[in-house]
Amino acid sequence: MGKEEGMAVGLAAGLTVGLLVVMLLFKKHILDFTFDERQERARGVAFKYGFFALMFAIILYGMLDMVLGRWCDAMAGATLCLCVGITVFAITCILKDAYLSLKESPRYVMTLFAVLSVVNIVLGSIHILDGDMVENGILTFRCTNLVVGLMTTVVLAVYIVNFLLSRRGQEEE
Amino acid sequence: MKNLRLKSARAAMDMSQQQLADAVGVSRQTINAIEKGDYNPTIKLCTAICRTLGKTLDELFWE
Repeated sequence: MGKEEGMAVGLAAGLTVGLLVVMLLFKKHILDFTFDERQERARGVAFKYGFFALMFAIILYGMLDMVLGRWCDAMAGATLCLCVGITVFAITCILKDAYLSLKESPRYVMTLFAVLSVVNIVLGSIHILDGDMVENGILTFRCTNLVVGLMTTVVLAVYIVNFLLSRRGQEEE
Repeated sequence: MKNLRLKSARAAMDMSQQQLADAVGVSRQTINAIEKGDYNPTIKLCTAICRTLGKTLDELFWE
């Protein structure tokens, strides 16, 4: 088995295990994403914004690829576009107070995002130091960790600011 | 338009927004948005709020 096939099998195995774990968590009601009617509506709007942002990012990526030539590999490009869409969706949800489900606690989500940010930024930094993030002037898929780390950091920052502002508003009532 | 009748009915029962939200199964921000007039609840949520606060739909939501 070659390196590429090995990576594909590893990725498929990881995704399968991840999917099974998530399904188990839902079945045991450890994960419970129940939203109220206002949140459902706000999340619908956020999905719409996220979708249009994703479309815009894909078009921009395609145009840049056409104008500048190949500047990143397909996986890096896909990750960048996905992160733009997800970031727009998450920030819209946060601003509309519809990011957390009824059973989730802000502390848990903030901790999760902080851990995700740190882990991904550290892994991304390791790839930069190893010098394998850019090969022959092309951004490789190894930028995924750094991009995801930056995305979770931005989402966490918006969440913290919104949380503090909302708490201040709550105290003033 | 602010829903001051809802706010006063809630205050009369000495309930916080969080307590009312928990009682009707929504988030505190949703109760806040209804009181501020930023969100028009469905009839289902209106009746749940009325039942919890012991009021009629007319008393809380009819203009």
